[in-house]
Amino acid sequence: MIRRWRTLPLLLVGALAPTFSLASLPFENTAIVRSIELGGSLVHVSTTYAVKALQPGQTTYQIMLSKAERAKTSWFDVKVKGQTVPLEVAELGEDESSIGHLLSVSLPKELAVNGTLNLVLETVQTHATHPYPERATQKEPQLLKYEADLFITSPYATLVQRTKVRSSSPNVVSYTTPHDVDSFVKDGSVTKSGATITYGPYYNIQMDAVFIAKYQQPISVHYNFDHAVLEVKTLRRTAEISHWGSNLNIEDDIYLRNAGPTLKGHFSRLEHQSQSYFRKFSSHILSDLTLHLPPGVTNAYYYDQNGNVSTSHLRKTPSVAKGSKASQYSVLELKPRYPVLGGWNYSYTIGFDTPLEDSVSYDANNGIYNIGIPVMTLIPGAVVDDAEVKIILPEGATNVEFISPFPELSSTMSTHITYLDTTGRPAVILAYKDLTDKHTGMIYVSYQVPFSAHLKKPLSVSAAFFSVFAFAFMARRVDLRLHKK
Amino acid sequence: MDNYEAIQALHKSLPAFSPYVSASLLPPIALILLTSTFALAFYFSTLPKDTFPLRETVVASIASILGGFGVVVLFCSVGVNV
Repeated sequence: MIRRWRTLPLLLVGALAPTFSLASLPFENTAIVRSIELGGSLVHVSTTYAVKALQPGQTTYQIMLSKAERAKTSWFDVKVKGQTVPLEVAELGEDESSIGHLLSVSLPKELAVNGTLNLVLETVQTHATHPYPERATQKEPQLLKYEADLFITSPYATLVQRTKVRSSSPNVVSYTTPHDVDSFVKDGSVTKSGATITYGPYYNIQMDAVFIAKYQQPISVHYNFDHAVLEVKTLRRTAEISHWGSNLNIEDDIYLRNAGPTLKGHFSRLEHQSQSYFRKFSSHILSDLTLHLPPGVTNAYYYDQNGNVSTSHLRKTPSVAKGSKASQYSVLELKPRYPVLGGWNYSYTIGFDTPLEDSVSYDANNGIYNIGIPVMTLIPGAVVDDAEVKIILPEGATNVEFISPFPELSSTMSTHITYLDTTGRPAVILAYKDLTDKHTGMIYVSYQVPFSAHLKKPLSVSAAFFSVFAFAFMARRVDLRLHKK
Repeated sequence: MDNYEAIQALHKSLPAFSPYVSASLLPPIALILLTSTFALAFYFSTLPKDTFPLRETVVASIASILGGFGVVVLFCSVGVNV
């Protein structure tokens, strides 16, 4: 009885022990290197953790992202360095002391004590940069600002860490110099060489609430960016499957915005023409787009609210068999009706047909059709804020199942009515947000269409014809003569 | 994710879709069906008015069926893939 009473305070101390003792953490990061590739709408961050296990039998490793960073991250994946298969990651949400957002990575195999492993976390951040100054004239360069936290967060102790910020051009206007980090550095706290700014190396970092309050600080890099910062505000993709015509039609309704610095002053057409004449293009004005469409594209169309836009060129490549890797893509070069300057919008519709044999497979044993439809056609360097993909199946399709390559915001089924439809066609609608260049997967839909459903269309048209004949039959027998003889 | 990869592999391995009627044959088929519909409709208009309209019904049915298929194939051959 007395012994049990004495163990109670010991239990309480034991429960608090993990927050006091460093040695109780199961891992130690021997080194962390974070590489930030600065872009326009998209910023690619690659963090390599050199992990050492301190306790036996470890099967999961936890990665911490700060809350602001998790809000900006729209895609992430964790791999063992050098391998191509991604590891399974579970999102744990905020940790107990609420300093960051935890991701739990399942290690490929159990790590013994003092076992080491290199894990690479790749993320794509969207809306992480903003133009600074926010307004610029037509001739001024485009300057963007990117902000991040100085220290890389991790629930485990780190022996050495560094952050490398890489800009696409060596024209970096300014970058912040960290303060109060003397206890962690041996040489300088930040160095710049060419287009790379290195923050670190910093030694012996232990992330906890005290450390964050005292030492964690934001760093920002103000740099020149030589490409248009594109943002697709809404993307509405419609994929229509036709078994009679053996054709898949994909139509994209795109609302595009140049998210660079807003134009200050007026747009000078003369200035723009002289730039294109002297080949000194202002790199942040969007004057044309190149899209890579699947091979075997026919009947491509491009129109906007005013009508057809003739400034486009399609270079076709022959169709390849379903599932095989295309060696060449069809190239569609689009020129918007007007050059899209900073802060300007342009909305247009493009569409094309591809043969159905290239996308649909048929399982004769159970009569199931499988189709793969790409989520979007990549516009290089652009982020898609809000995307909706509508897949319209043939009339009378049943047993519809679908799977998306990455989690969707919502999915619904509806009925779409178009030419020669009687009961309407089932349509699958998937909604997404913040899509990047890593989100170019295929949505797979499986459905069944009985033979009688195929006949629905011709028979409904036949019924219409027959009603005309029936009317003619009756009309012939009606005597409309005024005077009977 | 395993499920997605399994479906992707299945999609790749199964045979491709093949339509009942090949797409390149559609325009001539449309022409044949619609001209026969037109011819039969003309024939229908010349038939005598019998008490038991057997011939008229048969001709009208054949013409409607041919016309129904003809219109669907016509739509597909001009690009409105129904």
